Amino acid sequence: MRTPVSASMSLFLAALLVAACASGSPAQTAPSAATSTTTATAVPSGEVSPSGTAGPFSATDIAWLQLTVAMNERLLPVLDMVPSRTTDPAWRTFAARLAAAHRADLGTARRLLAESGAPATNPHEGHDMPGMVTEQELTALRSVTGVAFQRLVGQHVRAHLQQAVRIATAEQRSGVYAATTALATEVVRVGGTELARLDRLDRPPRA
Amino acid sequence: MDRAAPLSGTHRWLRLATAIGALLVLLGTYVVSTTERADAAPVANAIRVAEFPADCTYSHRLPDDPIIFPGLPGASHMHSFFGATVTNANTTLPDLVNSPSTCNPRVDVSSYWVPTLYRDNVPVEPAIATFYYLGEGVRSDVVANTQPFPLGLRLVAGNAKAAGPNDSIARWSCLHAGHVPPSKNFVNCPSGTMLESYLDFPQCWNGRDLDSPDHKSHLAYPVNQACPSTHPVHVPKLRQVLRYPVTGDPSRFRLASGPGYTMHGDFFNAWPVAEMARRVQDCIRPVIKCGHDGRPI
Repeated sequence: MRTPVSASMSLFLAALLVAACASGSPAQTAPSAATSTTTATAVPSGEVSPSGTAGPFSATDIAWLQLTVAMNERLLPVLDMVPSRTTDPAWRTFAARLAAAHRADLGTARRLLAESGAPATNPHEGHDMPGMVTEQELTALRSVTGVAFQRLVGQHVRAHLQQAVRIATAEQRSGVYAATTALATEVVRVGGTELARLDRLDRPPRA
Repeated sequence: MDRAAPLSGTHRWLRLATAIGALLVLLGTYVVSTTERADAAPVANAIRVAEFPADCTYSHRLPDDPIIFPGLPGASHMHSFFGATVTNANTTLPDLVNSPSTCNPRVDVSSYWVPTLYRDNVPVEPAIATFYYLGEGVRSDVVANTQPFPLGLRLVAGNAKAAGPNDSIARWSCLHAGHVPPSKNFVNCPSGTMLESYLDFPQCWNGRDLDSPDHKSHLAYPVNQACPSTHPVHVPKLRQVLRYPVTGDPSRFRLASGPGYTMHGDFFNAWPVAEMARRVQDCIRPVIKCGHDGRPI
């Protein structure tokens, strides 16, 4: 086992040294020649593609769309709880308007994702990301009504909107596909307006 | 005249051939003596484990993930970064190549990141973070054909969304307390030990993509001790070993991604091509345990 390796190694090095002597700088040529030979056999370089994404959508566009879908899917059931848990008309109106905007954005994001050719499976499904209501928090929401419910739902909606605006702002800056960055602009605009409304409905916690 | 010329030509050729021959003999002697030294000496005492390590201390924390959420700072749960000190949501390969590193060896400017561990909601960083590059889990002829990770390859391991231990390849154990059975979730380590996390990355590459839309499918785990035909290129098996300076009640621990079984790791390869290739050639293929310098121990 050892002998053939050693022999072929010797031949290989001899070939390298001859080549190195021919070029006149053995010390510098030999090591780089050795490594480039190794890597040339290693991978079909030049055929390596930087990423699996193709077309006009960038990796940022797709990641943001997937995350937007996941976040909206998580928020909608929370907003839909509002009419059955509070009689306050201001809260009901707020939740209904927010839910309508989020449903519309969800539809647009799904359509753009389909257009991008990204996998239909949502990589963030069932995953608690910043700004998302967890299963535990959802259970807590189901156990309260009235003012207690409003306080809790206000916290969740605020966390969601702040995170949505944060990442949509990043998509505006780093995104590529026009329809996707346009949706991000809309999320930032509506998010800002709704956060201001939420502040009037439910005072933000002091920082 | 017509004959003289070829005769003297032959003469000159003979002299040249003799000189070349002598040179080759000299070269041959040199090559044999150096290869015997470089080759035989380490193997005689070599530890027959295909391995080279990078030890990379904690660098920084950010709610960023340049693989899963590229260009979207703040989109992720909190990550702890090791290796390259510059990594954030916008990091690309040139950023890493030019970055300082927390790794031993310093030449490893790759970026490694994991969800942050919290104890009573206070972040805890590993006291020791070792990234082993191994040739194991496949047949010896597959190990002998291991190829270096291509520059810029992005790899993920583990399941950040695991809903339970069955969805997970995480492994938690205790350093210096082998009697505590390993688990996919946090374990209760006796005081004086450390909580350990082991995670193995996939080692079969499709030979084409540095990333994929789901960030996973360009790599695969071996099947029956070999790489599947869809992912035929065997690369080193990256094993992430983190030692956290915490012990005791596991209910006080959580990861930024959730319970212990949501442990995952991300790797963005930025090893200089020659350094990675040398280690694969000198340590992994011949099954020799190497140190941080990539030389036999």
